[in-house]
Amino acid sequence: MLETVGLTTTYGSIAALRDVSLSVGEGEVVGLIGPNGAGKTTLLGSIAGLLQPVSGSVVFEGSDVTGNAPDKMLKAGLALVPEHRRIFTDLTVVENLKVGGITVGASERAGLLEEMADLFPVLRDKWETSAGFLSGGEAQQLAIARALMSKPRLLMMDEPSLGLAPVLVDLVFELIESLRNQGRTLLVVEQNATRMLEVSDRAYVLRSGELVAEGTGAELLERSDLFDTFVGGTS
Amino acid sequence: MFPNLRRDVGFPFLGSVALFGLFVGSGLLYTSLQGGRASGNLITAMFIDAIMVVGIQIYIGNTGVFSFGHIGFGAIAGYTFALFAIDPVDKATRIADAPWGLAEVGTGPVLAAVIAVVVTLVIAAIIGIGLARSGAQSGAVAATVITLALLFVTHELARSWVRLTGGERAGLAFGIGDTLDSRLPIYLALFASILAARLFAQSRAGRLSKAAREDDLAARAMGINPIVQQTIALLLSVVVVAVASSLRVYEVGSVLPGLFFFDYTLLTLVMLVVGGRNSVTGSILGVAVITAAREVARRLGSEGYEFFGIGLDDAPLDWLFREGLPRVVLGLAMVGFMIWRSDGLLSDWEMDNWLWRTFRDNPKMPDLPGPLEAVSSSELQASDVVVAFGGFRALDGASMAATGDEIIGLIGPNGAGKTTLVNVITGMVPPTSGSVSLAGQDLTGAPSFKIARAGLVRTFQNLRLFGLLSVRENVEIPALVAQQHRSARKLPSIDELVAAAGLWEHRDRRASELDYGNSRRLELARAAALGPQFLLLDEPTSGMSDSESLQMIEQVRRMASLVGAGVLVIDHDLNFITGICDRIYCLDQGAVIAAGTPEQIQADPQVRAAYLGVSAPV
Amino acid sequence: MTELIQNLIDGLGRGSIYALLALGVAVIFGVMHLLNFAHGELITVSGYVAYAMFNQGWSWYLVAPLIVVVAIIASLLIERVAFSLVRGASDFTLVLTSFGVHFLVSAMFVMFVGARVKTFSEPGWIADTIAIGPINVEVFDLVVIGVTIVTLLLTVAILQKTMFGLALRAAAADFDTARLMGIDSNRVIRGAFALSGALAGIAGIFWLMRAGNTAPSSGIDPMLKGVLAALIGGLGSMRGAVLGGLALGVAEVVLRSQLPGEAAALTEGVVFALIALLFIFRPQGIISVATAERV
Repeated sequence: MLETVGLTTTYGSIAALRDVSLSVGEGEVVGLIGPNGAGKTTLLGSIAGLLQPVSGSVVFEGSDVTGNAPDKMLKAGLALVPEHRRIFTDLTVVENLKVGGITVGASERAGLLEEMADLFPVLRDKWETSAGFLSGGEAQQLAIARALMSKPRLLMMDEPSLGLAPVLVDLVFELIESLRNQGRTLLVVEQNATRMLEVSDRAYVLRSGELVAEGTGAELLERSDLFDTFVGGTS
Repeated sequence: MFPNLRRDVGFPFLGSVALFGLFVGSGLLYTSLQGGRASGNLITAMFIDAIMVVGIQIYIGNTGVFSFGHIGFGAIAGYTFALFAIDPVDKATRIADAPWGLAEVGTGPVLAAVIAVVVTLVIAAIIGIGLARSGAQSGAVAATVITLALLFVTHELARSWVRLTGGERAGLAFGIGDTLDSRLPIYLALFASILAARLFAQSRAGRLSKAAREDDLAARAMGINPIVQQTIALLLSVVVVAVASSLRVYEVGSVLPGLFFFDYTLLTLVMLVVGGRNSVTGSILGVAVITAAREVARRLGSEGYEFFGIGLDDAPLDWLFREGLPRVVLGLAMVGFMIWRSDGLLSDWEMDNWLWRTFRDNPKMPDLPGPLEAVSSSELQASDVVVAFGGFRALDGASMAATGDEIIGLIGPNGAGKTTLVNVITGMVPPTSGSVSLAGQDLTGAPSFKIARAGLVRTFQNLRLFGLLSVRENVEIPALVAQQHRSARKLPSIDELVAAAGLWEHRDRRASELDYGNSRRLELARAAALGPQFLLLDEPTSGMSDSESLQMIEQVRRMASLVGAGVLVIDHDLNFITGICDRIYCLDQGAVIAAGTPEQIQADPQVRAAYLGVSAPV
Repeated sequence: MTELIQNLIDGLGRGSIYALLALGVAVIFGVMHLLNFAHGELITVSGYVAYAMFNQGWSWYLVAPLIVVVAIIASLLIERVAFSLVRGASDFTLVLTSFGVHFLVSAMFVMFVGARVKTFSEPGWIADTIAIGPINVEVFDLVVIGVTIVTLLLTVAILQKTMFGLALRAAAADFDTARLMGIDSNRVIRGAFALSGALAGIAGIFWLMRAGNTAPSSGIDPMLKGVLAALIGGLGSMRGAVLGGLALGVAEVVLRSQLPGEAAALTEGVVFALIALLFIFRPQGIISVATAERV
């Protein structure tokens, strides 16, 4: 469904991403793990069109979408839940969701709002509340719901468990599992590697801007050198 | 005051003579070719505009603070000058009942100009305090508003305080024959202002000010308090503006509110930005270019095709060649340059810098000096630091200690609070509770420039170099701060540090032109040049490949030993951290969860769990 | 007391116009981080078109809506030929670009129409007053306040209830994330300029009615009032802009009536000095907003 070929992205003279090729198949949950600074956020940004890759390509459902503007990407069916959630704190919960569904028709949007209310009961209770008053866990659910409002074919999430208390981290992973059970396609960046691998069909390990390992979640969990691969410790 | 006499005084003097000569020479050439009174007046006005623009450049160019108000200072000076210089006989008809008996005063032009400078300086000092209070820095909106308000307040006063200013109808005017009849004072003032602008830019204060212009936060981290330099720049700039304004009034022979208002603000700003606001040479070039463009437009507007001497019968461009064309040209120049080349024609190029680089003796790369003894007694301590943003605790009781001869690592997963801890230690984030001390001296909550002067110097995760300044200048600036505030330590020379960073062949390039690895090395050398007790490095290897990271180990060790500093380094790359550190602290959720040697940390199950998630395989 | 109420109503009438102008400035600052010094030129342009139409024999009732349309078109045009080319540039570049546009527009009127002031007749009812008890209220003030209330309610409705308004608010809060949600940056910025132009147009109707003339430099005053009111309120905050406009209007009227003798002529100067003081002690304005993301 999604394929990147030799993706390289730089910030000025910094190569944040070097020659990254990965793929996500229909209905798969793919994890992308790696330490801080490995280039995970850059990778998602380059796929979503927030950043312009200097070389390589992004192919989504058979068509080359490299370098398209984010709104085009979204219309093509690629949604991103950004790092730190980035919900619109001045807008109410329902307004946040409506912004998420800005690309779909008005009647469809109403249906989707209902769907989100069912999927995230916490949000229904705070429908008209300003999103700035949500707790971290609620805000993360809102961010995911907001992205789902565009009916994405592929949902990308950037560090959904970041900055959450442990009990909320559990919640986030339960959510990922439930999304997987609905048959959605996910590409999730996480630093919480073990937990992520447990819910992934396949996963990639990114370090210093390069892919250093890949495999099924189970395979990677088995690998005793994962920690070293992960943070570059020499064993 | 001047780091290097030849470079910072000798060459600027030569450069100023050359610039003055070229500018005045081309003006005089034009008058002699054109002949007539009008061309003479045009050139006189151009010389006075040049003084004004150079005055404005001293402030905007060196601080990056955008001021709309310098023509407001001009109005204050211009009116003060007129009030004192005009003969009482001539004042009697316009402002016979001026307050404070000013109608009876007549000091002559020289003393009047001195009074104008003093009065303007006093007001500039007050405005300067206000600007400092508002946190003026490069690009600050508040500074724009305050200076804009100054322009309008002076304008309103000039219009409405009729008893003093003569208002909009009468104004103040010199008697016939009393106006400026020689260009000598203009030449003197022009040369002096060019020289002053160049000397200031090369001086210690000017250099520190430019560092803050490039990056306010990094400048503070290098021990600079930008407010001091900005205020010096403001005062110097206002002196030049006051002199120019006095000359302008003296030359025009009268002053009305419109003489120092929006139109003149636009004219001077266009001249400044077209040539290049960061360059004195550029400012002068801008004055020349805009004066020429305006004159051509004026003559096209008033004489149309006759100006070309073509004598076409049909005139297809009549719609364009009309009165008012010069203003359109000014507006177009402003918009066009902002779109096409917002740094102006010359950016920061200076004639004397170019002469210096061309004619100096090329120095040889210095040998590396021996290491400096580290001060093991200088202990850095952070105790029970808590930082709460609203309900979120970025740091939750973190403590750590390091002695001056150690290299300490700080690791932990994303969001663990590592950078926040460094921010607290270096005074960039105030702790909610807890304390920071260096060698027993409490530094909790001190401003970051004081902490830097005390010997804690940091680098930044997302490089913050002084981009427009050269590599060598980036190292020179903290060295200038060190001379004043850390003089107890005998430090390696600037050239030695540049060489030790492996940047010798790049030393005259702009920092913004360096590639990533060199930028990182430069940031390290810049921090070392302050002679710190501790270097705090925030992710020095982020964005580097494995082999580059390993080289960075050598680099950090060398720099730290050159200046005898301890190191506290944040990094996510364990190869690097274990390769360089004596001890490591691991943070998670804002607290220290493990501390020990690299081996202990690598074997610690809690560390693995923090990085990999709860049920890490061991 | 009577005088105070009188002043308050006068001040609100004046402040309403400022509020509309300030809101237009704030909308653009929100999406583009641009402090628009060219905002007043929308009124200059409308003023000349109004003058031309009056010469054709049009009445105020026909000219008023035309002014709004012209202001919207001018706003979009300025965005297209100038501001769209400096999107995302430094604050320095943005401010000077708008400053340059301000001068360019007025210079073009000097060149093509002439520097002389063009006068037209004010509507007949502009000087009428009605007495409510001891207070004499200008009909004009009441109309301005009424229209402003309606305009603000409409603007609020657009911002709150329409998808465009939602997109605009989202973009003003966090431009990058808004783009991630599928919001087209060109459309939302052009929409902001259109809205800003409409608000300037409505303010322009009253501004021109009161002034009864237009000149190449007519834009300076409304520009300053709009920009300063937006700054007083805290740039980027739309609520703050409205409050800032009203505060500025009331402050002007009260100062003019309370300052003694000669100093009353200095009202404008005093207001500027107060604004400078405000910024010295509260650089972020009355309502502080987290800095908006830039385009």
